[in-house]
Amino acid sequence: MTDIALQTRGLGVKYGNFHALAEVDLQIRRNSVHSIIGPNGAGKTTLFHALTGRVRASSGRIELDGRDITDTSDDDRVRLGIARSFQVTSLFPNLALRENLRLAAQGRTPWQALAPWRRAEANAEALAIADEVIERLALAPVSNRLAGELSHGQQRRLEVGMAMAARPRVILLDEPTSGMGIDDIEAMKQLIRDLGRDHTVLFIEHNMGIVMNISDMVTVMRLGRKLVEGPPAQVRDDPEVQRAYLGNMITGDIA
Amino acid sequence: MNPLDKPYAQLALALLTVLVLPLFLKSGILATEILIFAMVVAACNLLLGYTGLLSFGQGIFFGIGTYVAGICLTRWSVPVPLVLAGAAVLGAATATLVGWLSIRRQGVYFVMLTLAFSQLFYFVAYTFSGVTGGDNGLLGVPRPSVGGTALNSPWSYYTFVAVCFVAVFALLVMVTQSTFGRTLLAIRENEGRAAAIGFPTKLFKLEAFAISGAVTAFGGALHAMLIGVAPLSNIEYHTSELILIMTIIGGSSSLFGSVLGAGFYLLLADALSTVWPRWLLLLGLVLVTVALFLQRGLWGLVERGYDLVFRRERAPETPAEEH
Ligand SMILES: Nc1ncnc2c1ncn2[C@@H]1O[C@H](COP(=O)(O)OP(=O)(O)O)[C@@H](O)[C@H]1O
Ligand SMILES: [Mg+2]
Repeated sequence: MTDIALQTRGLGVKYGNFHALAEVDLQIRRNSVHSIIGPNGAGKTTLFHALTGRVRASSGRIELDGRDITDTSDDDRVRLGIARSFQVTSLFPNLALRENLRLAAQGRTPWQALAPWRRAEANAEALAIADEVIERLALAPVSNRLAGELSHGQQRRLEVGMAMAARPRVILLDEPTSGMGIDDIEAMKQLIRDLGRDHTVLFIEHNMGIVMNISDMVTVMRLGRKLVEGPPAQVRDDPEVQRAYLGNMITGDIA
Repeated sequence: MNPLDKPYAQLALALLTVLVLPLFLKSGILATEILIFAMVVAACNLLLGYTGLLSFGQGIFFGIGTYVAGICLTRWSVPVPLVLAGAAVLGAATATLVGWLSIRRQGVYFVMLTLAFSQLFYFVAYTFSGVTGGDNGLLGVPRPSVGGTALNSPWSYYTFVAVCFVAVFALLVMVTQSTFGRTLLAIRENEGRAAAIGFPTKLFKLEAFAISGAVTAFGGALHAMLIGVAPLSNIEYHTSELILIMTIIGGSSSLFGSVLGAGFYLLLADALSTVWPRWLLLLGLVLVTVALFLQRGLWGLVERGYDLVFRRERAPETPAEEH
Protein backbone atom coordinates (compact mmCIF):
# COMPACT_ATOMS: atom_id res chain seq x y z
CA MET A 1 0.00 0.00 0.00
CA THR A 2 1.10 3.49 -0.75
CA ASP A 3 1.33 6.21 1.84
CA ILE A 4 -1.46 8.11 0.09
CA ALA A 5 -5.01 7.20 1.14
CA LEU A 6 -6.93 9.54 -1.11
CA GLN A 7 -5.76 11.38 -4.18
CA THR A 8 -7.32 13.57 -6.86
CA ARG A 9 -5.90 14.70 -10.15
CA GLY A 10 -7.30 17.62 -12.10
CA LEU A 11 -10.63 17.25 -10.31
CA GLY A 12 -13.36 19.56 -11.57
CA VAL A 13 -17.10 19.94 -10.92
CA LYS A 14 -19.51 22.03 -12.94
CA TYR A 15 -22.98 23.15 -11.86
CA GLY A 16 -24.44 23.98 -15.26
CA ASN A 17 -21.87 26.31 -16.76
CA PHE A 18 -20.42 27.35 -13.43
CA HIS A 19 -17.07 25.80 -12.50
CA ALA A 20 -17.49 25.24 -8.76
CA LEU A 21 -14.29 23.20 -8.67
CA ALA A 22 -11.39 23.21 -11.12
CA GLU A 23 -8.07 21.40 -11.48
CA VAL A 24 -7.81 20.29 -7.89
CA ASP A 25 -4.84 18.01 -7.17
CA LEU A 26 -4.91 16.60 -3.67
CA GLN A 27 -2.84 14.01 -1.88
CA ILE A 28 -4.11 12.98 1.54
CA ARG A 29 -1.62 10.97 3.55
CA ARG A 30 -2.85 7.91 5.40
CA ASN A 31 -3.76 8.50 9.06
CA SER A 32 -3.15 12.19 8.86
CA VAL A 33 -5.43 15.07 9.75
CA HIS A 34 -5.80 17.21 6.68
CA SER A 35 -7.89 20.36 6.80
CA ILE A 36 -9.45 22.36 4.03
CA ILE A 37 -10.00 26.05 4.61
CA GLY A 38 -11.14 28.94 2.49
CA PRO A 39 -13.82 31.61 2.31
CA ASN A 40 -17.48 30.74 1.78
CA GLY A 41 -18.21 29.63 -1.74
CA ALA A 42 -14.63 28.43 -2.29
CA GLY A 43 -15.89 24.99 -3.31
CA LYS A 44 -14.96 23.05 -0.17
CA THR A 45 -18.30 21.34 0.24
CA THR A 46 -18.40 20.69 -3.49
CA LEU A 47 -15.04 18.97 -3.16
CA PHE A 48 -16.54 16.68 -0.50
CA HIS A 49 -19.57 16.02 -2.72
CA ALA A 50 -17.23 14.95 -5.51
CA LEU A 51 -15.07 12.79 -3.22
CA THR A 52 -18.11 10.96 -1.82
CA GLY A 53 -19.90 10.62 -5.14
CA ARG A 54 -22.87 12.82 -4.33
CA VAL A 55 -22.05 14.89 -7.42
CA ARG A 56 -20.22 13.60 -10.47
CA ALA A 57 -16.80 14.91 -11.30
CA SER A 58 -16.94 16.66 -14.67
CA SER A 59 -13.21 16.24 -15.14
CA GLY A 60 -10.22 14.61 -13.49
CA ARG A 61 -10.00 11.49 -11.40
CA ILE A 62 -10.26 10.32 -7.81
CA GLU A 63 -8.24 7.46 -6.34
CA LEU A 64 -8.77 5.66 -3.06
CA ASP A 65 -5.73 3.60 -2.08
CA GLY A 66 -4.58 3.77 -5.66
CA ARG A 67 -7.89 2.50 -6.98
CA ASP A 68 -9.83 4.66 -9.44
CA ILE A 69 -13.24 5.45 -7.89
CA THR A 70 -14.22 8.36 -10.16
CA ASP A 71 -17.22 6.49 -11.54
CA THR A 72 -18.12 4.58 -8.37
CA SER A 73 -21.57 5.38 -6.92
CA ASP A 74 -21.93 7.11 -3.56
CA ASP A 75 -23.20 4.05 -1.71
CA ASP A 76 -20.44 1.85 -3.18
CA ARG A 77 -17.83 4.31 -1.94
CA VAL A 78 -19.06 3.81 1.63
CA ARG A 79 -18.22 0.13 1.31
CA LEU A 80 -14.80 1.03 -0.03
CA GLY A 81 -14.16 3.02 3.15
CA ILE A 82 -15.21 6.66 2.70
CA ALA A 83 -17.78 8.24 5.01
CA ARG A 84 -18.76 11.82 5.64
CA SER A 85 -20.66 14.26 7.78
CA PHE A 86 -22.61 17.17 6.33
CA GLN A 87 -22.24 20.90 6.86
CA VAL A 88 -26.02 21.21 7.08
CA THR A 89 -27.09 18.57 9.61
CA SER A 90 -28.66 15.65 7.76
CA LEU A 91 -30.16 13.04 10.08
CA PHE A 92 -33.27 10.88 10.31
CA PRO A 93 -35.15 13.31 12.57
CA ASN A 94 -38.09 11.03 13.45
CA LEU A 95 -35.91 8.07 14.35
CA ALA A 96 -34.15 7.58 17.66
CA LEU A 97 -30.51 8.63 17.98
CA ARG A 98 -29.44 5.01 18.43
CA GLU A 99 -31.45 3.93 15.37
CA ASN A 100 -29.72 6.64 13.33
CA LEU A 101 -26.35 5.15 14.25
CA ARG A 102 -27.52 1.55 13.80
CA LEU A 103 -28.57 2.42 10.26
CA ALA A 104 -25.24 4.10 9.60
CA ALA A 105 -23.45 0.97 10.82
CA GLN A 106 -25.73 -1.27 8.74
CA GLY A 107 -25.00 0.81 5.65
CA ARG A 108 -21.67 -0.95 5.21
CA THR A 109 -23.51 -4.23 4.52
CA PRO A 110 -26.74 -3.02 2.89
CA TRP A 111 -27.46 -6.27 1.04
CA GLN A 112 -28.27 -7.93 4.35
CA ALA A 113 -30.92 -5.30 4.89
CA LEU A 114 -32.69 -6.29 1.68
CA ALA A 115 -33.95 -9.48 3.35
CA PRO A 116 -37.46 -8.59 4.55
CA TRP A 117 -37.47 -11.42 7.08
CA ARG A 118 -34.24 -10.50 8.88
CA ARG A 119 -34.60 -8.65 12.15
CA ALA A 120 -32.55 -5.51 12.66
CA GLU A 121 -31.40 -6.81 16.05
CA ALA A 122 -29.89 -9.85 14.37
CA ASN A 123 -27.00 -7.65 13.28
CA ALA A 124 -25.28 -7.54 16.66
CA GLU A 125 -22.23 -5.89 15.18
CA ALA A 126 -24.19 -2.87 13.96
CA LEU A 127 -25.76 -2.47 17.41
CA ALA A 128 -22.37 -2.74 19.07
CA ILE A 129 -20.90 -0.12 16.77
CA ALA A 130 -23.85 2.20 17.44
CA ASP A 131 -23.33 1.86 21.19
CA GLU A 132 -19.61 2.38 20.87
CA VAL A 133 -20.12 5.62 18.94
CA ILE A 134 -22.75 6.77 21.45
CA GLU A 135 -20.23 6.17 24.22
CA ARG A 136 -17.45 7.96 22.42
CA LEU A 137 -19.59 11.01 21.70
CA ALA A 138 -21.02 11.05 25.24
CA LEU A 139 -24.56 10.84 23.91
CA ALA A 140 -25.70 7.94 26.12
CA PRO A 141 -28.21 9.98 28.17
CA VAL A 142 -30.18 10.88 25.04
CA SER A 143 -29.68 7.74 22.95
CA ASN A 144 -33.39 6.91 22.89
CA ARG A 145 -34.55 10.37 21.95
CA LEU A 146 -35.58 11.26 18.44
CA ALA A 147 -32.73 12.84 16.51
CA GLY A 148 -34.93 15.81 15.65
CA GLU A 149 -35.46 16.59 19.35
CA LEU A 150 -31.77 16.84 20.25
CA SER A 151 -30.03 20.13 20.96
CA HIS A 152 -28.00 21.69 18.18
CA GLY A 153 -24.72 20.60 19.72
CA GLN A 154 -25.94 17.03 20.15
CA GLN A 155 -27.16 16.94 16.56
CA ARG A 156 -23.77 18.12 15.32
CA ARG A 157 -22.06 15.39 17.32
CA LEU A 158 -24.47 12.80 15.97
CA GLU A 159 -23.77 14.10 12.49
CA VAL A 160 -20.10 13.22 12.99
CA GLY A 161 -21.12 9.94 14.63
CA MET A 162 -23.01 8.95 11.46
CA ALA A 163 -19.72 9.05 9.60
CA MET A 164 -17.85 7.19 12.36
CA ALA A 165 -20.44 4.39 12.50
CA ALA A 166 -19.59 3.38 8.95
CA ARG A 167 -16.12 2.39 10.24
CA PRO A 168 -14.45 4.23 7.37
CA ARG A 169 -10.75 4.43 6.66
CA VAL A 170 -11.16 7.92 5.29
CA ILE A 171 -13.54 10.22 7.16
CA LEU A 172 -14.70 13.54 5.74
CA LEU A 173 -16.10 16.12 8.16
CA ASP A 174 -17.75 19.24 6.78
CA GLU A 175 -17.55 22.06 9.36
CA PRO A 176 -18.16 19.76 12.34
CA THR A 177 -18.08 22.65 14.84
CA SER A 178 -20.42 25.03 13.05
CA GLY A 179 -22.80 26.67 15.48
CA MET A 180 -21.36 24.84 18.51
CA GLY A 181 -20.78 26.33 21.95
CA ILE A 182 -17.25 26.68 23.40
CA ASP A 183 -17.31 23.46 25.43
CA ASP A 184 -18.62 21.40 22.56
CA ILE A 185 -15.97 22.83 20.26
CA GLU A 186 -13.16 21.75 22.56
CA ALA A 187 -14.62 18.22 22.77
CA MET A 188 -14.94 18.07 19.00
CA LYS A 189 -11.33 19.14 18.60
CA GLN A 190 -10.22 16.28 20.86
CA LEU A 191 -12.39 13.88 18.91
CA ILE A 192 -10.98 14.87 15.52
CA ARG A 193 -7.45 14.61 16.83
CA ASP A 194 -8.35 11.18 18.22
CA LEU A 195 -9.89 10.03 14.97
CA GLY A 196 -6.65 10.96 13.24
CA ARG A 197 -4.84 8.18 15.06
CA ASP A 198 -6.60 5.37 13.20
CA HIS A 199 -8.37 7.17 10.36
CA THR A 200 -7.45 9.44 7.54
CA VAL A 201 -9.31 12.62 8.44
CA LEU A 202 -10.18 15.28 5.92
CA PHE A 203 -12.07 18.17 7.43
CA ILE A 204 -13.42 21.55 6.48
CA GLU A 205 -13.24 24.09 9.27
CA HIS A 206 -13.55 27.81 9.81
CA ASN A 207 -12.22 27.79 13.35
CA MET A 208 -8.54 28.58 12.85
CA GLY A 209 -7.76 27.65 16.45
CA ILE A 210 -8.65 24.06 15.66
CA VAL A 211 -7.15 24.03 12.20
CA MET A 212 -3.74 25.34 13.26
CA ASN A 213 -3.71 23.13 16.34
CA ILE A 214 -4.47 19.67 15.08
CA SER A 215 -3.81 19.60 11.34
CA ASP A 216 -0.85 17.83 9.81
CA MET A 217 -1.53 19.56 6.53
CA VAL A 218 -3.70 22.49 5.45
CA THR A 219 -5.10 23.18 2.00
CA VAL A 220 -6.43 26.66 1.29
CA MET A 221 -9.06 26.96 -1.43
CA ARG A 222 -10.47 29.96 -3.20
CA LEU A 223 -12.84 30.25 -6.15
CA GLY A 224 -12.89 26.52 -6.73
CA ARG A 225 -9.13 26.16 -6.89
CA LYS A 226 -6.31 25.23 -4.58
CA LEU A 227 -4.54 28.37 -3.44
CA VAL A 228 -1.84 27.17 -1.06
CA GLU A 229 -0.98 23.94 0.70
CA GLY A 230 1.41 23.09 3.49
CA PRO A 231 1.89 22.50 7.20
CA PRO A 232 -0.13 24.86 9.47
CA ALA A 233 2.68 27.24 10.37
CA GLN A 234 3.70 27.71 6.78
CA VAL A 235 0.11 28.34 5.64
CA ARG A 236 -0.50 30.81 8.43
CA ASP A 237 2.40 32.98 7.37
CA ASP A 238 1.79 32.76 3.65
CA PRO A 239 1.25 36.28 2.30
CA GLU A 240 -1.26 35.09 -0.29
CA VAL A 241 -3.38 33.43 2.37
CA GLN A 242 -3.17 36.54 4.53
CA ARG A 243 -4.42 38.54 1.57
CA ALA A 244 -7.23 36.09 0.75
CA TYR A 245 -8.51 36.23 4.29
CA LEU A 246 -7.52 39.88 4.93
CA GLY A 247 -6.01 38.50 8.11
CA ASN A 248 -9.28 38.30 9.97
CA MET A 249 -9.90 34.58 10.17
CA ILE A 250 -6.37 33.41 10.74
CA THR A 251 -6.43 34.76 14.28
CA GLY A 252 -8.71 31.95 15.36
CA ASP A 253 -12.16 33.44 15.75
CA ILE A 254 -15.21 31.32 15.18
CA ALA A 255 -17.07 31.75 11.94
CA MET B 1 -44.31 4.34 20.94
CA ASN B 2 -47.97 3.59 21.46
CA PRO B 3 -48.39 -0.04 22.60
CA LEU B 4 -51.01 -0.49 19.86
CA ASP B 5 -48.27 0.04 17.29
CA LYS B 6 -46.30 -2.99 18.51
CA PRO B 7 -46.24 -5.84 15.98
CA TYR B 8 -48.13 -8.35 18.12
CA ALA B 9 -50.82 -5.79 18.93
CA GLN B 10 -51.26 -5.12 15.22
CA LEU B 11 -51.53 -8.82 14.51
CA ALA B 12 -54.01 -9.31 17.36
CA LEU B 13 -56.16 -6.48 16.00
CA ALA B 14 -56.16 -8.11 12.56
CA LEU B 15 -57.25 -11.43 14.06
CA LEU B 16 -59.92 -9.68 16.06
CA THR B 17 -61.24 -8.03 12.91
CA VAL B 18 -61.58 -11.39 11.18
CA LEU B 19 -63.54 -12.79 14.13
CA VAL B 20 -65.72 -9.74 14.72
CA LEU B 21 -66.85 -8.97 11.17
CA PRO B 22 -69.23 -12.00 10.95
CA LEU B 23 -70.86 -10.96 14.21
CA PHE B 24 -71.77 -7.50 12.99
CA LEU B 25 -72.34 -7.89 9.28
CA LYS B 26 -75.20 -9.64 7.55
CA SER B 27 -73.51 -9.71 4.18
CA GLY B 28 -70.66 -12.17 3.83
CA ILE B 29 -69.80 -10.57 0.49
CA LEU B 30 -69.26 -7.18 2.12
CA ALA B 31 -67.20 -8.69 4.93
CA THR B 32 -65.02 -10.53 2.41
CA GLU B 33 -64.58 -7.40 0.33
CA ILE B 34 -63.41 -5.53 3.43
CA LEU B 35 -60.71 -8.12 4.12
CA ILE B 36 -59.54 -8.12 0.50
CA PHE B 37 -59.27 -4.36 0.39
CA ALA B 38 -57.70 -4.32 3.85
CA MET B 39 -54.69 -6.28 2.59
CA VAL B 40 -54.49 -4.29 -0.63
CA VAL B 41 -54.59 -1.01 1.28
CA ALA B 42 -51.95 -2.25 3.73
CA ALA B 43 -49.75 -2.99 0.72
CA CYS B 44 -50.30 0.56 -0.52
CA ASN B 45 -49.35 1.77 2.94
CA LEU B 46 -46.01 -0.02 2.67
CA LEU B 47 -45.25 2.40 -0.15
CA LEU B 48 -46.95 5.52 1.20
CA GLY B 49 -46.36 5.30 4.93
CA TYR B 50 -43.09 3.40 5.09
CA THR B 51 -41.29 4.44 1.92
CA GLY B 52 -42.89 7.83 1.26
CA LEU B 53 -44.02 6.90 -2.25
CA LEU B 54 -47.50 8.03 -3.27
CA SER B 55 -48.33 5.47 -5.95
CA PHE B 56 -51.29 5.99 -8.22
CA GLY B 57 -50.54 2.65 -9.84
CA GLN B 58 -52.00 0.23 -7.29
CA GLY B 59 -55.02 -0.39 -9.52
CA ILE B 60 -52.69 -1.78 -12.20
CA PHE B 61 -51.54 -4.56 -9.90
CA PHE B 62 -55.02 -5.18 -8.57
CA GLY B 63 -56.34 -5.48 -12.11
CA ILE B 64 -53.53 -7.79 -13.12
CA GLY B 65 -54.37 -10.13 -10.27
CA THR B 66 -57.99 -10.01 -11.31
CA TYR B 67 -57.16 -10.96 -14.88
CA VAL B 68 -54.77 -13.73 -13.85
CA ALA B 69 -57.62 -15.29 -11.87
CA GLY B 70 -60.15 -14.60 -14.62
CA ILE B 71 -58.07 -16.08 -17.42
CA CYS B 72 -56.60 -19.04 -15.53
CA LEU B 73 -59.88 -20.09 -13.97
CA THR B 74 -62.30 -19.61 -16.85
CA ARG B 75 -60.08 -20.92 -19.64
CA TRP B 76 -57.68 -23.43 -18.19
CA SER B 77 -58.98 -24.34 -14.73
CA VAL B 78 -55.59 -23.92 -13.11
CA PRO B 79 -55.55 -24.96 -9.41
CA VAL B 80 -56.37 -21.98 -7.18
CA PRO B 81 -53.12 -22.00 -5.12
CA LEU B 82 -51.20 -21.75 -8.39
CA VAL B 83 -53.47 -18.94 -9.58
CA LEU B 84 -52.85 -16.96 -6.40
CA ALA B 85 -49.11 -17.55 -6.58
CA GLY B 86 -49.08 -16.63 -10.27
CA ALA B 87 -51.01 -13.43 -9.56
CA ALA B 88 -48.54 -12.48 -6.85
CA VAL B 89 -45.52 -13.15 -9.08
CA LEU B 90 -46.94 -11.25 -12.04
CA GLY B 91 -48.02 -8.43 -9.72
CA ALA B 92 -44.50 -8.22 -8.30
CA ALA B 93 -42.96 -8.24 -11.77
CA THR B 94 -45.26 -5.50 -13.06
CA ALA B 95 -44.74 -3.42 -9.94
CA THR B 96 -40.99 -3.78 -10.33
CA LEU B 97 -41.21 -2.52 -13.90
CA VAL B 98 -43.56 0.37 -13.08
CA GLY B 99 -41.49 1.21 -10.01
CA TRP B 100 -38.21 1.03 -11.88
CA LEU B 101 -39.41 3.54 -14.45
CA SER B 102 -41.23 5.79 -11.96
CA ILE B 103 -38.64 6.19 -9.19
CA ARG B 104 -36.31 7.87 -11.64
CA ARG B 105 -38.33 10.98 -10.89
CA GLN B 106 -39.16 12.43 -7.52
CA GLY B 107 -42.17 14.06 -5.91
CA VAL B 108 -44.93 15.24 -8.22
CA TYR B 109 -43.25 13.77 -11.29
CA PHE B 110 -43.11 10.36 -9.67
CA VAL B 111 -46.84 10.56 -8.92
CA MET B 112 -47.54 11.70 -12.49
CA LEU B 113 -45.63 8.73 -13.86
CA THR B 114 -47.54 6.19 -11.80
CA LEU B 115 -50.76 7.90 -12.90
CA ALA B 116 -49.69 7.69 -16.53
CA PHE B 117 -48.91 3.98 -16.17
CA SER B 118 -52.29 3.47 -14.61
CA GLN B 119 -53.95 4.97 -17.71
CA LEU B 120 -51.67 3.00 -19.99
CA PHE B 121 -52.50 -0.37 -18.45
CA TYR B 122 -56.20 0.46 -18.51
CA PHE B 123 -56.05 1.12 -22.26
CA VAL B 124 -54.06 -2.04 -22.83
CA ALA B 125 -56.71 -4.07 -20.99
CA TYR B 126 -59.47 -2.25 -22.88
CA THR B 127 -57.82 -2.74 -26.27
CA PHE B 128 -56.91 -6.43 -25.96
CA SER B 129 -60.48 -7.49 -25.35
CA GLY B 130 -59.74 -10.94 -26.76
CA VAL B 131 -57.72 -11.65 -23.63
CA THR B 132 -59.46 -9.48 -21.04
CA GLY B 133 -63.03 -9.43 -22.26
CA GLY B 134 -62.79 -5.65 -22.73
CA ASP B 135 -65.78 -3.76 -21.37
CA ASN B 136 -67.62 -6.92 -20.35
CA GLY B 137 -64.76 -8.42 -18.40
CA LEU B 138 -64.40 -12.16 -17.95
CA LEU B 139 -67.58 -13.75 -16.70
CA GLY B 140 -68.07 -16.92 -14.73
CA VAL B 141 -64.99 -16.92 -12.52
CA PRO B 142 -65.58 -19.87 -10.15
CA ARG B 143 -65.02 -19.93 -6.41
CA PRO B 144 -62.21 -22.13 -5.11
CA SER B 145 -62.99 -25.53 -3.62
CA VAL B 146 -61.61 -26.98 -0.45
CA GLY B 147 -61.77 -30.75 0.03
CA GLY B 148 -63.94 -31.20 -3.05
CA THR B 149 -66.66 -28.68 -2.12
CA ALA B 150 -66.80 -25.31 -3.81
CA LEU B 151 -66.92 -22.36 -1.41
CA ASN B 152 -70.11 -21.03 -2.91
CA SER B 153 -71.73 -19.66 0.22
CA PRO B 154 -70.50 -16.17 1.13
CA TRP B 155 -69.34 -17.10 4.62
CA SER B 156 -67.41 -20.18 3.53
CA TYR B 157 -65.48 -18.05 1.04
CA TYR B 158 -65.08 -15.46 3.79
CA THR B 159 -63.26 -18.07 5.85
CA PHE B 160 -60.92 -18.81 2.95
CA VAL B 161 -60.16 -15.11 2.45
CA ALA B 162 -59.80 -14.58 6.20
CA VAL B 163 -57.01 -17.17 6.36
CA CYS B 164 -55.29 -15.48 3.40
CA PHE B 165 -55.75 -12.07 4.99
CA VAL B 166 -54.23 -13.03 8.32
CA ALA B 167 -51.27 -14.68 6.57
CA VAL B 168 -50.65 -11.67 4.30
CA PHE B 169 -51.08 -9.21 7.15
CA ALA B 170 -48.60 -11.15 9.28
CA LEU B 171 -46.19 -11.12 6.37
CA LEU B 172 -46.50 -7.36 5.99
CA VAL B 173 -45.98 -6.84 9.73
CA MET B 174 -42.82 -8.93 9.46
CA VAL B 175 -41.63 -6.85 6.51
CA THR B 176 -42.16 -3.56 8.30
CA GLN B 177 -40.44 -4.82 11.46
CA SER B 178 -37.44 -6.19 9.61
CA THR B 179 -34.17 -4.40 9.02
CA PHE B 180 -35.51 -3.87 5.49
CA GLY B 181 -38.62 -2.11 6.78
CA ARG B 182 -36.57 0.06 9.08
CA THR B 183 -34.32 1.04 6.20
CA LEU B 184 -37.45 2.04 4.24
CA LEU B 185 -38.37 4.38 7.08
CA ALA B 186 -34.91 5.90 6.90
CA ILE B 187 -35.24 6.39 3.14
CA ARG B 188 -38.62 8.07 3.65
CA GLU B 189 -37.11 10.36 6.27
CA ASN B 190 -33.99 11.43 4.40
CA GLU B 191 -33.08 9.66 1.19
CA GLY B 192 -29.87 11.65 0.68
CA ARG B 193 -28.54 10.59 4.05
CA ALA B 194 -29.60 6.99 3.51
CA ALA B 195 -27.53 6.94 0.32
CA ALA B 196 -24.63 8.69 2.03
CA ILE B 197 -24.43 5.96 4.69
CA GLY B 198 -24.28 3.29 2.01
CA PHE B 199 -27.80 2.16 1.13
CA PRO B 200 -28.60 1.73 -2.57
CA THR B 201 -31.93 3.46 -2.03
CA LYS B 202 -33.45 2.72 -5.43
CA LEU B 203 -33.10 -1.00 -4.86
CA PHE B 204 -34.93 -0.72 -1.56
CA LYS B 205 -37.75 1.26 -3.16
CA LEU B 206 -38.00 -1.32 -5.92
CA GLU B 207 -38.29 -4.14 -3.44
CA ALA B 208 -41.03 -2.23 -1.62
CA PHE B 209 -42.81 -1.88 -4.94
CA ALA B 210 -42.43 -5.59 -5.69
CA ILE B 211 -43.87 -6.65 -2.33
CA SER B 212 -46.69 -4.14 -2.63
CA GLY B 213 -47.48 -5.30 -6.19
CA ALA B 214 -47.48 -8.97 -5.16
CA VAL B 215 -49.94 -8.44 -2.32
CA THR B 216 -52.16 -6.16 -4.41
CA ALA B 217 -52.40 -8.64 -7.28
CA PHE B 218 -53.06 -11.44 -4.79
CA GLY B 219 -55.98 -9.40 -3.47
CA GLY B 220 -57.16 -8.73 -7.02
CA ALA B 221 -57.32 -12.48 -7.73
CA LEU B 222 -59.31 -13.07 -4.52
CA HIS B 223 -61.67 -10.28 -5.58
CA ALA B 224 -62.39 -11.85 -8.98
CA MET B 225 -63.31 -15.11 -7.25
CA LEU B 226 -65.52 -13.20 -4.82
CA ILE B 227 -67.68 -11.44 -7.39
CA GLY B 228 -67.39 -14.15 -10.08
CA VAL B 229 -66.18 -11.65 -12.68
CA ALA B 230 -62.88 -10.15 -13.74
CA PRO B 231 -64.20 -6.67 -14.57
CA LEU B 232 -62.43 -3.94 -16.51
CA SER B 233 -63.17 -1.56 -13.64
CA ASN B 234 -60.62 -3.34 -11.41
CA ILE B 235 -57.75 -2.03 -13.53
CA GLU B 236 -59.26 1.44 -13.93
CA TYR B 237 -57.62 4.52 -12.57
CA HIS B 238 -60.57 4.74 -10.21
CA THR B 239 -59.40 1.62 -8.36
CA SER B 240 -55.99 3.19 -7.77
CA GLU B 241 -57.72 6.25 -6.41
CA LEU B 242 -59.96 4.17 -4.16
CA ILE B 243 -57.00 2.29 -2.68
CA LEU B 244 -55.13 5.54 -2.02
CA ILE B 245 -58.16 7.19 -0.41
CA MET B 246 -58.62 4.21 1.92
CA THR B 247 -54.92 4.34 2.80
CA ILE B 248 -55.05 8.01 3.67
CA ILE B 249 -58.32 7.75 5.64
CA GLY B 250 -56.88 4.88 7.66
CA GLY B 251 -53.66 6.73 8.42
CA SER B 252 -50.25 5.88 7.10
CA SER B 253 -48.38 5.33 10.36
CA SER B 254 -49.58 1.78 11.02
CA LEU B 255 -50.61 -1.24 8.98
CA PHE B 256 -53.77 -1.80 10.96
CA GLY B 257 -54.77 1.76 10.13
CA SER B 258 -55.16 0.47 6.57
CA VAL B 259 -57.59 -2.19 7.72
CA LEU B 260 -59.61 0.55 9.43
CA GLY B 261 -59.44 2.69 6.29
CA ALA B 262 -60.75 -0.08 4.04
CA GLY B 263 -63.46 -1.08 6.52
CA PHE B 264 -64.59 2.47 7.16
CA TYR B 265 -64.84 3.34 3.48
CA LEU B 266 -66.67 0.20 2.38
CA LEU B 267 -69.08 0.19 5.31
CA LEU B 268 -69.86 3.85 4.86
CA ALA B 269 -70.37 3.45 1.12
CA ASP B 270 -72.65 0.49 1.78
CA ALA B 271 -74.71 2.36 4.37
CA LEU B 272 -74.98 5.59 2.42
CA SER B 273 -75.90 3.93 -0.85
CA THR B 274 -79.05 2.49 0.73
CA VAL B 275 -79.99 5.90 2.13
CA TRP B 276 -79.71 8.12 -0.91
CA PRO B 277 -78.94 7.50 -4.58
CA ARG B 278 -76.52 10.44 -4.61
CA TRP B 279 -74.52 8.87 -1.80
CA LEU B 280 -71.18 9.64 -3.43
CA LEU B 281 -71.80 13.29 -2.57
CA LEU B 282 -72.15 12.43 1.12
CA LEU B 283 -69.09 10.23 0.94
CA GLY B 284 -67.17 13.16 -0.50
CA LEU B 285 -68.22 15.34 2.42
CA VAL B 286 -67.10 12.70 4.92
CA LEU B 287 -63.74 12.41 3.19
CA VAL B 288 -63.23 16.18 3.27
CA THR B 289 -64.01 16.14 6.98
CA VAL B 290 -61.53 13.35 7.63
CA ALA B 291 -58.84 15.09 5.58
CA LEU B 292 -59.41 18.38 7.39
CA PHE B 293 -59.68 17.18 10.96
CA LEU B 294 -57.87 13.84 11.16
CA GLN B 295 -54.39 14.55 9.89
CA ARG B 296 -53.13 11.16 10.98
CA GLY B 297 -56.22 9.32 9.78
CA LEU B 298 -58.44 6.99 11.76
CA TRP B 299 -55.40 5.35 13.32
CA GLY B 300 -54.36 8.70 14.79
CA LEU B 301 -57.79 8.87 16.38
CA VAL B 302 -57.39 5.37 17.82
CA GLU B 303 -53.99 6.26 19.29
CA ARG B 304 -55.36 9.40 20.87
CA GLY B 305 -58.30 7.49 22.27
CA TYR B 306 -55.99 4.86 23.73
CA ASP B 307 -53.85 7.53 25.38
CA LEU B 308 -56.91 9.20 26.87
CA VAL B 309 -58.23 6.01 28.40
CA PHE B 310 -55.09 4.19 29.52
CA ARG B 311 -52.46 6.83 30.06
CA ARG B 312 -54.31 9.63 31.76
CA GLU B 313 -52.89 8.83 35.18
CA ARG B 314 -49.30 8.66 33.93
CA ALA B 315 -47.32 11.88 33.92
CA PRO B 316 -46.06 12.93 30.49
CA GLU B 317 -42.68 11.39 29.76
CA THR B 318 -39.96 13.76 30.84
CA PRO B 319 -37.04 13.76 28.45
CA ALA B 320 -33.78 12.60 29.96
CA GLU B 321 -31.56 15.47 30.98
CA GLU B 322 -28.08 15.79 29.68
CA HIS B 323 -25.00 16.50 31.82
N1 LIG C 1 -26.18 22.60 -6.30
C1 LIG C 1 -25.56 23.72 -6.74
N2 LIG C 1 -25.93 24.31 -7.89
C2 LIG C 1 -25.31 25.42 -8.32
N3 LIG C 1 -24.32 26.03 -7.68
C3 LIG C 1 -23.91 25.51 -6.51
C4 LIG C 1 -24.50 24.33 -5.97
N4 LIG C 1 -23.90 24.04 -4.80
C5 LIG C 1 -22.97 24.99 -4.62
N5 LIG C 1 -22.96 25.88 -5.64
C6 LIG C 1 -22.06 27.02 -5.80
O1 LIG C 1 -20.75 26.50 -5.87
C7 LIG C 1 -19.85 27.34 -5.16
C8 LIG C 1 -19.13 26.52 -4.12
O2 LIG C 1 -20.04 26.15 -3.11
P1 LIG C 1 -19.59 25.26 -1.87
O3 LIG C 1 -18.85 24.08 -2.38
O4 LIG C 1 -20.78 25.00 -1.05
O5 LIG C 1 -18.58 26.23 -1.11
P2 LIG C 1 -18.02 26.18 0.36
O6 LIG C 1 -18.37 24.88 0.97
O7 LIG C 1 -16.53 26.36 0.19
O8 LIG C 1 -18.61 27.35 1.09
C9 LIG C 1 -20.69 28.47 -4.57
O9 LIG C 1 -20.54 29.60 -5.43
C10 LIG C 1 -22.09 27.94 -4.59
O10 LIG C 1 -22.99 28.98 -4.77
MG1 LIG D 1 -19.45 24.45 2.63
